[in-house]
Formats: sequence, structure tokens, C-alpha cells
Amino acid sequence: MTIVQSQDQARTDAWHKVQNQRHRRDRLGKLLLTSVTVFIVFLFVFPIYFWFSASVKPFQYIFRLPPQITFPETTGAWWSVVIGGRDYFETLREEAGGLSSTGGGGTGGYYVVPYLVTSLIVGGLSTLVVISIATPTAYALSRFDPRGKQNIIFFILSTRFMPVVTAVLPIYLIYQQFKLIDTYGGLIIAHVVINLPLAILLLKSFFDDIPRDLDDAAQVDGCTRFGAFWRILIRYIAPGIVAATVLCVIFSWNELLLTLYLTRSELRTIPVAMTTFDSSSGGTEWGFLAAAGSAAMIPVFIFILFVQRHLVRGLTMGAVRG
Amino acid sequence: MTRSDVLIAASQPTATPSKPRRRFWSAENPWLWITPAIVFLMLYSIFPLIYNLVISFHDWKTRSKYWEFIGTENWTNLFADSRFWNSLMITFTYVIVAMAIQIVLGFIIALLLDAKPWGSGLMQALIILPMVTAPSVAGMLFRLLTHSEFGTITWLLRDVFQIMSAQEPLIGGTGRYALIGILLVDIWQWTPFFVLIILAGLKGIPEDVVEAAHVDGANWVQRLWRVKVPMLKTVLAVAVLFRLVDLYKVFDYVAIMTSGGPGGRTETLSYYGYVNTFQQIEWGYGAAIGITLMLLVWVSAFAFQKIFRIRW
Repeated sequence: MTIVQSQDQARTDAWHKVQNQRHRRDRLGKLLLTSVTVFIVFLFVFPIYFWFSASVKPFQYIFRLPPQITFPETTGAWWSVVIGGRDYFETLREEAGGLSSTGGGGTGGYYVVPYLVTSLIVGGLSTLVVISIATPTAYALSRFDPRGKQNIIFFILSTRFMPVVTAVLPIYLIYQQFKLIDTYGGLIIAHVVINLPLAILLLKSFFDDIPRDLDDAAQVDGCTRFGAFWRILIRYIAPGIVAATVLCVIFSWNELLLTLYLTRSELRTIPVAMTTFDSSSGGTEWGFLAAAGSAAMIPVFIFILFVQRHLVRGLTMGAVRG
Repeated sequence: MTRSDVLIAASQPTATPSKPRRRFWSAENPWLWITPAIVFLMLYSIFPLIYNLVISFHDWKTRSKYWEFIGTENWTNLFADSRFWNSLMITFTYVIVAMAIQIVLGFIIALLLDAKPWGSGLMQALIILPMVTAPSVAGMLFRLLTHSEFGTITWLLRDVFQIMSAQEPLIGGTGRYALIGILLVDIWQWTPFFVLIILAGLKGIPEDVVEAAHVDGANWVQRLWRVKVPMLKTVLAVAVLFRLVDLYKVFDYVAIMTSGGPGGRTETLSYYGYVNTFQQIEWGYGAAIGITLMLLVWVSAFAFQKIFRIRW
């Protein structure tokens, strides 16, 4: 009896030992896995961190090697110009002394607030138009089967695939004819066209997820087709509309080439302004650029928090459900 | 509506039973829903395209401000232009190299994240950030990182790994391998795209399929290569399609980081078109380049879409 018991005991002990070892090995494996992944993710996050940190570093630290990743000293000088509108030359003299070649930074120095406002207006209004045109189209593409439906989808897709360089000169010439260059209207409509294919196909995928029974039920209960769309289905695709809205705003916010062509000086969105800061200055003023770039990035980073879940779906225009 | 009305309505014979008569101005007419968007898109894609095609047979005389019809001269010039072939080769190199690296890296990172390391949720959120950075800002950022003297990447290559000599800047805006600098930004920005898509695909694979393979004695590599990868095919194809199109169109990084230099080493088709149209005011020639690029994009995109049967 006792022998059996002690044998049993020994067996359990051995089992526990093996389990413990396995457990420890699992934990070790997980630790290894985590550290490898953290390292790789770090490589992707580091440039952003570096850029943000450059925007608060005093001049002499930006170019230090090995790269300064801690903050022995910080300065608000770059931001005070970029957001606060402090005089650019004065700040540069104070910050950099004679170290830097004085660049221009365009007409208004590096003051980005007007460009941020422009970006917001263009992004917001164009997205409003995009969503109001795209939603009915998406509904129809999901619910009806007109002849050549696949071709229509093909066409919509192909406009997304069209390189801006191909379309931009004619648009530019026509805009010149109708005096639309450098106007909000012209720019907003151009941005609508960039985002329309994305919004249509993304929203279509959201409509596809709603069973048709819902439409039928609504229509049996006395809704017209339009009523069913407007009063009922819209609510069900609300998350899709939010996702599409955020993505459209972001793409409009980030767009460079088309905006570069269609605006001259008054009306530049933030990426265009960035390129002009850069090309108009003699030497590149990294502190100012970093602050301006950060100011352009922070709103996008905040926006994206809201649609992280639908990001994959949005970027593939609804083809991959994330 | 009274009961008798309903009965009467129900008993009304339809004019042609096989084909219900549809009124044009009705919510049942799909074209009314679709037309505004289609018109809009046509106005900004088909119309400019035709216009551009017309332009490509003309030459704009800047001085006297008129279009001279020159037939196919722009097109014959295009095929004799070594700078055009150069930019074509650079575009192809760029597309292939960037795509290959992004797929492989994306796969590795997605598998790592899928194995659920600690904090994988946070890491997934962080890895999105490069993707939503404006390409122009990303270009600036990498110009700082690849700065020929003070850039962090330059420093790594030169002082830490000593791959690069101190005399010659290699990957910055003026370096011999400036294209690598541009590839780096693209890889930095868009590898996360593959990561997210592959992760989404991996999540979509039913557990029991992988389990079954495991039970049947498939090892890790076999489970990955024989079970998971084939099931990821469609998802991966979509990702490649979108990346393919956008890689062909690369403009922002080139404009910001190198302006096509040094000596045309980073001049992609998009940028060469831009140079012709807006810097040299060779509108007809620029139009020809633009159309060539578009044909390239469309042909490859649609061939790809057909082969992999991607449907929306």
C-alpha cells in the first residue's frame, strides 16, 4: 500500500516537474517571441518617435551622433513658430545663432495653422460630398443587379487605379479655363474624386453584410424602398460610414500631387505646404520641419484610433473583412 | 387602404407578367442611384484621359500659346528617349523590390504577432502609425534619417555596421543608391499594410483545419506552407493588387527626398511625367508618359485581378 502510494507520489512529482519545465519553456519562448516582436515594432515606431523628439530638441541635439533619444533639454521654439506664429527669423537667430543658414520657409515662415485649417476644410467638405454620393451608389450596387454590374464596379475600381499624373494636366487646363485653380470649390471636388471609389466599394461591403430580409421586412411594414434605405439601412451601416469618413479625411489630408498642381499659394493643404517650406528655404530647418510634420501627423493619429477595427477593410476597399 | 382596395389591387392583371413594367423615375431604377457617382467619376477620369490622349498628339507652344498637331511625334520620341526607359526600369525595380520585401517582412511580422506575444494588441496599434503618416511627411522624416552626415540610418551603416564608407554618401538624396533610401520609406510605411491584412487572413482561418493538420502529423512549416498560405491566397492577392497599383504611382517620396536625382537614379515614371508637364512645360510629352504609366497600371492590375479572381 505504502509502496504504491509512494510510487504514485513519485509519478505525480515527476509529472509536475515535466509540467513545470514545459511551462517554463513556454514562458521562455513567449519572452523570446515578445522581445523579437518588440524589437521589430520598435524599428517601425522609432522614426516617428525620432521625428517628434526632433521637434522639441534644441538645435545642437538634432544632429548629434549617436542619435539623441533622451531629452536632456527641450525647447518649445520650433512649435512656438509652427503653431504659435512667433517670428521665424527671430526664433532662428535665438535658437541656432550663426549655426544655420537662414532659409525662407515660404511667405509666412513655418506657421502652419492656416494650412491645417485649409486641410481640415477641404478634407471635411470633400468627405461630406463623398459620403452623400457614395452611400446611395453603394446601396444600389449591393441591392440591385443591373445589367453590367460587374463592369460598373470594374470602372469604379479603375478610377482608383488611375495614376494622378495621367489625369492631372487636363484637369489643370480645365480648371484654368473655369478659373477654378486655387479655389476651395475646385480643390474640394478634386478630392471628392480621389476618395469616391474607396467610399463606394467600402460602403457596398457594409451593405452586403446586412441581410436582404431586413429591406423586405421594412417594405412589408410599409416603408418605400427609399424609406427602407434612408430610415433603416443607414443606421445599420453607421459604423461603415464612420470608417469611410475617417479614411476619406485621412486620404484627403495626406494627398500631395493633385493638390500641388491645383493650388498656387493661397490655398495649400499641409503636405503641399511642407514641400514648399522645404524647397523655398536655403538649408533645411529640421526643427521647424519636424514640428510642422508632427502637427500634420498628430490629428491623423487621433482620427485613426476611431477606425482601427475597420482599417484593413477600408484600405482594401471592402475586399478583406478585417 | 381598405380591404376591398387591396383585393382589387391584387386582382389587377399586370401588363406584361413576364417583364414587370418599371417607371423611370422610381426608386426601383438602379441607375438613378448610381448615376451621380458614375458621372462624377467619368468627368474626372474618362474625360481627362481622352483629353490627355488628344494632348499627347499635340505640342504646346508656350510662347504663342497654341496647340500644334504633331501626330505621333511625342510617342516616337518617347520610345527613343533613354531617360524614359531609365525611368521605366527604375519604376519596375522599385515595384518588384519593394513588393518582395514587404510581403516577406509582412508575413514574418504577422506570424510573430499572431503567435500572441505579450502586448500584441498594443503593438498592432503602434504598427499602424507609419501607414497613416502622410507620405510627404514620411519622405521628410526619412530624408532626415538618411542625411548624408547626420542621419541615423547613415550613422548605423557607416559607423556601427561600417558597410558604407565615410567619404561617399550612398543612400541619402545625393547618394549613388538613393533609390534604397526611397525603398526604405516605402517599406517602412507599407509593410504594416501587409501585416494587418495577413493578420486578418490568419484570424479568418478556422482553428480546426490547422488542428486537423497538426493531428495528422504536419509540422510547423507544413502547417504554414501547406495549410495557412493557400488559405491566405485571396487575402494576399488583394493586398498585392493595391500595393502594385500604388507602387507604380510612386511620386511623393521621390519629389520630397531626391527630386529624381542624382542623375535620374530615382526618377520614376510618375516623377518623369511631372517633370515634363510642370517643370519643362512639355505638355504633350508629359501626357504621353502619363498614358503609358496608366496603361502599365491598368494592364497589370486587371491581369492580376483576373488571375486571382478578386471580386468586389
